[in-house]
Amino acid sequence: MIALRDILIFAGLAALAAAVIASLFPAGEGVSPVPACSDCAFKLTSGYWIRQYGNYAALYLGTREVARYGWAYNITEGRPLRIGENATCDTAMYLWVFGGVAYVSCDGSPPKIGRDVLGPRLPFINIRISGDWIRGCTRTLTFEANLTESYLATVEVYDEEGREVFSGTTTMPGSVSFTIPVAGTYRMRISVPPLLDEWYTVIAQVRIKDLVRAQVFTSNNTQDLRPSTSLKIFDLTNYWKKGYRSVTVHVNPAGASFTLSAPADFFADFLLAWEDCPNCDNADGPMYVDEVWRLTITQTDFIFTRIHSSGGYWHEVYVWYPQGINLPGIKTLIWTWNKEGPKRDSYTVRWFVTTVWLESQDSAMNARATFVREC
Amino acid sequence: MWSLAYGLIALAVVAFVVLYAAAHTPNLTSVNLADQLYGAKKWLAGNLPSFPKVELTSRFRVFVNVVRVAKANATAYDYRARQWVAFPVYLPVGYRLERAGENVVYQIYLNVTRCRYTALPRGEPAMLYEIELRHSLDPLPWLEVYAAVPHNLTQYYSLLYNYYTAWRGPPAVGLTPRVGADDDLVELVKAEWAAVYNATSGTAKLYVAAPAAALYILLVDYPLKLPLTCPEQIASTSS
Repeated sequence: MIALRDILIFAGLAALAAAVIASLFPAGEGVSPVPACSDCAFKLTSGYWIRQYGNYAALYLGTREVARYGWAYNITEGRPLRIGENATCDTAMYLWVFGGVAYVSCDGSPPKIGRDVLGPRLPFINIRISGDWIRGCTRTLTFEANLTESYLATVEVYDEEGREVFSGTTTMPGSVSFTIPVAGTYRMRISVPPLLDEWYTVIAQVRIKDLVRAQVFTSNNTQDLRPSTSLKIFDLTNYWKKGYRSVTVHVNPAGASFTLSAPADFFADFLLAWEDCPNCDNADGPMYVDEVWRLTITQTDFIFTRIHSSGGYWHEVYVWYPQGINLPGIKTLIWTWNKEGPKRDSYTVRWFVTTVWLESQDSAMNARATFVREC
Repeated sequence: MWSLAYGLIALAVVAFVVLYAAAHTPNLTSVNLADQLYGAKKWLAGNLPSFPKVELTSRFRVFVNVVRVAKANATAYDYRARQWVAFPVYLPVGYRLERAGENVVYQIYLNVTRCRYTALPRGEPAMLYEIELRHSLDPLPWLEVYAAVPHNLTQYYSLLYNYYTAWRGPPAVGLTPRVGADDDLVELVKAEWAAVYNATSGTAKLYVAAPAAALYILLVDYPLKLPLTCPEQIASTSS
């Protein structure tokens, strides 16, 4: 007990002496000086301040100079100190030294080395529009953004008549997909208030290409166009879009006609009227009625339907059938007339492109057309 | 008892002195700017293939961490279908990149403003690129410029065509699927370059002369590698 008491008294006296000696030092002098360094950071507590001179900046502790730097820079105000200007902090001073330049901050926010060379930086929104032709006619809008807040993007699609056919929203980043119902030209509005408001034109169509002895019409055609044209393709899409219940198409000078009723589901609709011989039917004869087929194109399919066949020559109707992406398709015989062979009144191709061939005994009238659903 | 009290008081005083001294010692840490810079560039290099690709110049002017691209048609041989196919590709022609470390802001702006055929003094045909260059750090770091000359252009585009069929979107020359993925298809040769600083306008232009057969040039601010192409050249070699 006595030993512990003596030790405590001794320690207490020693501590008192140490405290007295420490208090005799100049006020606020730190235990260790600020080392001269570069690429380093300090936290300095109480009594430190910086003064900028004409050719250097000095760090003081009380009145004693402890370090010199090339120049001092105030991070809070974002500018170098003027000559004769001081920088002080209430509680703690944060000091970074890079390449001999001292950066001072009172709140600990670090300095950033490097100028801004990029200029304005809007919150960015990038819109990528991609289309898928193969599995239906869909468009996908992908919104890429680096926004900190959440903004809502609205997509509205209008048809030629100004009717809204689609409206959708997403938060960014995100995407909106819509299916274009019927071939045509659409206006698409993308708005992200208050950042963006843009209009785009969206075209969905059936492109008819590689025509051989074929011609496309959008209304009646009763002319005899042989021998250059043996296949008349009537585009009925616009009539169905206008809301007609049925349409009668006149195909030859004799006035032969075919009445078609509106399809239940369509992207585009065509009537194919074909003549099998170059000079056998005269002006009042049955021209362009030897093979009459209807091609209804939906989101996924090409549907061939036979409407009428006649004539004395044999006919062959071929359709291109796909095997898969990057693979050649097969020219498939689907219908024969006046000869042995497949008799299919209806044929469906599940793809975005197909070709139809109409061939007869007289190869001078062989016709061909390729239909591509493009979105 | 009294001596115990004295002892405790003395201990308290000692504790105060020690704590005060500890609190007022300058707190030193070293800052490694080089590491931060390396980290920023490495981050950019890693994320480069996934940055948005913009075609509109108006968007390129205001967005950050984007690649400016030009769309072009390339021709590849489809080995499965055994036929030539045309498909769209993106050609990187500009970058606006930014990444901040704790104490360093790394920004680089590159934009191909012009490129045309020219002849080197030795008479070899070359493609001269004029590239706008802006950099946030004044002492421009060590810069290397290489030209990527494909061993076999058809093979190169066939590789890109594979990505095109897989992703159903245009691949980017030099960037798909990442920079350096085409190591075995191209040969990197040193390109001659000169940086010209115009003090009046405060802009730096980088002039690069690459072999005429080069598919793209690769600017290396190690570890960041940025491929740049010339849209006119691709259009002429692939069609």
